[in-house]
Amino acid sequence: MTVTLDRPASDAPPRADILLDVQDLRTYFHVMDGTVKAVDGVSFSVRRGETLGVVGESGCGKSVTALTIMRLLDIPPAEIASGRILLEGKDILRLPEEQMRHLRGNEIAMIFQEPMSSLNPVFTVGNQISEAVELHLKVKHKEAVERSIEALRLVGIAYPERRIKQYPHELSGGQRQRVMIAMALSCEPKLLIADEPTTALDVTIQAQILELIRSIQQKTGTALMLITHDLGVVAEMVNDVVVMYAGRVVEHGTVDEVLLQPKHPYTEGLLASIPSKGMRGQRLNVIKGAVPNPFNMPKGCNFSPRCPYQFEPCLDLDPHVDEGGGPAAACWLWKQAPGYSIPARLHEAQVRAALRAAEASQVEVSPVLAVEAAEE
Amino acid sequence: MTTEHRAPGGGTIEDIVAVPDNEVALESLSQWQLARRRFRKHRLALIGLFIFGFMVFLAVFGPLIVPFNPMFLPGAIKAGGDQPSLAHLFGTDANGRDVFAMTINGARISVAVGLFSMIIAGVAGVTVGAVAGYFGGWVDNVLMRVVDVLFAIPFLFIILVSSRFFGKGDVLSLVLIFGLLSWPLIARLVRASFLSLREADFVDAARAVGVGDRRIAFRHILPNALGPVIVAMTLLMASNIVLESFVSFLNFGISETQISWGNALANAQGALSFGDWWWAFFPGMAIALTVIAVNFVGDGLRDALDPRSRE
Amino acid sequence: MGRYILRRSVQAIPVIFLIAIVSFMLMQAAPGGPAAAFNQNPKISQAQIDGWLQRWCLERNPDVVGMLREFGGWLGVYNCSGGGLASSSGMPNFLPAFLGGGSNGVLHGDFGFSIFTGQPVLGMILERLPATLVLTGTALIIWITLAIILGVIAAVKRYSLFDQAVTLFSYIFYSLPTFWLGLILIYLFAVDLHWLPAQGIINTRSPFSFNTPAYWTDFWKNPGPALVVIGQHLILPVMTLVAVSVAGDSRFVRSSMLDTLSQDYVRTAKAKGLSQRTVIFRHAFRNALLPILTNIALEIAFLFSGAIVTETIFDWPGMGRLYFDGVTNRDYFLLMGILLIGSILVVIANLAADVIYAWADPRIRY
Repeated sequence: MTVTLDRPASDAPPRADILLDVQDLRTYFHVMDGTVKAVDGVSFSVRRGETLGVVGESGCGKSVTALTIMRLLDIPPAEIASGRILLEGKDILRLPEEQMRHLRGNEIAMIFQEPMSSLNPVFTVGNQISEAVELHLKVKHKEAVERSIEALRLVGIAYPERRIKQYPHELSGGQRQRVMIAMALSCEPKLLIADEPTTALDVTIQAQILELIRSIQQKTGTALMLITHDLGVVAEMVNDVVVMYAGRVVEHGTVDEVLLQPKHPYTEGLLASIPSKGMRGQRLNVIKGAVPNPFNMPKGCNFSPRCPYQFEPCLDLDPHVDEGGGPAAACWLWKQAPGYSIPARLHEAQVRAALRAAEASQVEVSPVLAVEAAEE
Repeated sequence: MTTEHRAPGGGTIEDIVAVPDNEVALESLSQWQLARRRFRKHRLALIGLFIFGFMVFLAVFGPLIVPFNPMFLPGAIKAGGDQPSLAHLFGTDANGRDVFAMTINGARISVAVGLFSMIIAGVAGVTVGAVAGYFGGWVDNVLMRVVDVLFAIPFLFIILVSSRFFGKGDVLSLVLIFGLLSWPLIARLVRASFLSLREADFVDAARAVGVGDRRIAFRHILPNALGPVIVAMTLLMASNIVLESFVSFLNFGISETQISWGNALANAQGALSFGDWWWAFFPGMAIALTVIAVNFVGDGLRDALDPRSRE
Repeated sequence: MGRYILRRSVQAIPVIFLIAIVSFMLMQAAPGGPAAAFNQNPKISQAQIDGWLQRWCLERNPDVVGMLREFGGWLGVYNCSGGGLASSSGMPNFLPAFLGGGSNGVLHGDFGFSIFTGQPVLGMILERLPATLVLTGTALIIWITLAIILGVIAAVKRYSLFDQAVTLFSYIFYSLPTFWLGLILIYLFAVDLHWLPAQGIINTRSPFSFNTPAYWTDFWKNPGPALVVIGQHLILPVMTLVAVSVAGDSRFVRSSMLDTLSQDYVRTAKAKGLSQRTVIFRHAFRNALLPILTNIALEIAFLFSGAIVTETIFDWPGMGRLYFDGVTNRDYFLLMGILLIGSILVVIANLAADVIYAWADPRIRY
């Protein structure tokens, strides 16, 4: 049924500017009721020192993709059914656990969504940062403590000498997330994966944390894979964008390509659901319906039941993102009429305005919430 | 031995991949319907329910299947009794009593004591816990001190004294003693749920539209607190069945003119040292089987009613 | 920390007082009551009974005021040789003797006399205490070690053959009646196989009773073999206690571990690249230990009940056996004494659980 779904594994030498190359990744979960294809043929790459944004609703497979890259999923129930994850040309899915552990926290570090529960409550902050430093940089405890203090200073925590002796519960959510960032960056990783790093934080803190991540990234040259459902954040932070829907990449391109000329109706829907000043008093545009049941995916295009432009091929055949350079979208409409972009309802200026407004007001732009609200 | 998988993120897989409200869920099953569905998938619980059902069947109809009178002696009177044979499946004891008949007929008292003491403890515990948890303040303070005291005194100590001093050797007094002494655990559970649910939004909503105290406590809060209570009551029944057998084994429980599994074992203690294992083995196995069955059911109920706190 | 312990101890006092009332009322409410029991015992002389009646404010048929006096006398707040609430020196009776208080009652370490043997209750309890401590202490150490080892491995190797074996084991043993398991073990290892002694703590042929001065004189002459004898007698009762307790607790440890293993901070620890061993023991187990410690302290009460069962079955000369004999003989003062001391030990254990928790968990402010 699927058309050109599997892309032939490219044996071409890796491009030097590509740090992480994910190819046709499939992560399935075998649970009591069947198999959930949480990630189903995802490909993208992260360039050195650059930022990739991964966008999509809750449950579209963003976090599972990140956890698969870190190899933090329990197998079973998870199964990595296919794919390669090349870090500097080396497939980390094939590394023995021993070597993978050496990469974790050292070359690839990760920040999680929940700062409140991501720190161990029974150890001091300093303890938890220096633990990783001692392990990966093979330094003495005393030096590790000094490095921890430095790391805390770098993330803007006041009185780091005192803070390292405190327990997580003595810190606020924003401070904890700073600690998480300090921990992640303490070993100067090549790639930082940030899984919705600001979702659980106060709106006022969100901007500070994002700014912090960006400034540190510029200082250290770390590449960043930023997972978010917030298009305002995307516009602000990233170079390239991958839009995910139901375990697939539905569109990818540079941030300007994707946000200003969306090619996939889903991306369009996400953009349209950003509230903006000019729309005051109007109904918010939302995407109809909900993410499909993972045990019962629609035939043809996954998005077709919710798509306003749906036509015949969408119901039978599975569209697929074209590989190779340039923008691409998994959409029959776009594929059959590549010249046809979807500006009918959205104009560039409108999007820019919306994004600016979202940034300025720091309103949390969450299309998911909008979908839920529409269902009530 | 559930086969539910948890994802490393702390939630279930469903949390990570966010199984949405889909067509199946749209049938809008009630909480209890969902629980029943989950229970039916729990194989051990179904086996347990079947075995316990069988024991209840024996308790009701046992005497019709194998008549037994503690004074009636079908076998020969001889020291040590007879080994298990075709005539006497589980052997006989020194008085010539048939151990098979004793085991079948012992079910009645053991199951009755377990079941009815559980009901008494349940009613008492839910009432006390609900009152303490709903009203709080000094009411809560007084009731919880009583519970503290009952918790501090080693349970078996007080059960033995009460059975010996207040028991009359019949089922009713044992049911009352066990029931009236084992409610504190349930009261604590109910109180804890009430304390947290009292602050829940739906209770505020009910209060805002002028629903009365009693109605809020019993119609709005209690059904939501019931899951863990039902599980605890099941496990309580299991432990009370063991307790009855132990108390009767020590001759503080059911009088010798009746037969319970504990009574049958009391008979057997001396015999074991002469190698007559069958006196003790079969009634004991009956207790163990019943208790395992009830524990299985309890486990299944826990998984069904309280899916968040699985295991 | 000191203030926290002090505050919790003060909070425990009303509970202990209530326990004293419950123990007392239980005996008073018993048909016949304590007054009935000492009439028929030939071991006790009339002089003893009279002295006793007076010392404890006992009456043949007390009214409510009489009962209150009895309770006060037993507790030690009431001076039964005249003087009411004041001691013979005029100070309040409940004060310790060196401050001019009285000498009667529980508060002054006077738990009364056994109706059955005429011995002081406290002496009888202390005489039986070592045997119980040996039995429950050994069982507790083995039980906790096993439960933690089995539970942690089962949680880490979840759904493995080992995990399923542990689960099966715990299902079965958790449901076995302790006393019946004891009987079966006696039959298997003592009667049938003749590997181990069936009952008691020392050989039945021994000329001395355990924990008497004569026994200890004999013991110190040749302690090695004497210890071996006790060890042999320990095996079956300890197995009985441990089998059932480990069954329940290994599941508890397993689920605590599973709970912490699925926490976000464990994922963080893994994401740091720590070894599995460090993640499991430093990050997960350290957190799982909190509920496990609490659970262990709370199960001290269960240990007493377990001691009654095993000591009765194995004729072990400890407090549990003493209590059983007390119940059989309706030995009221003895029962009140054991109930009170046992309950106070449970209250202390619970207090210890809270203190340990507060000490081990930095989130708790005290």
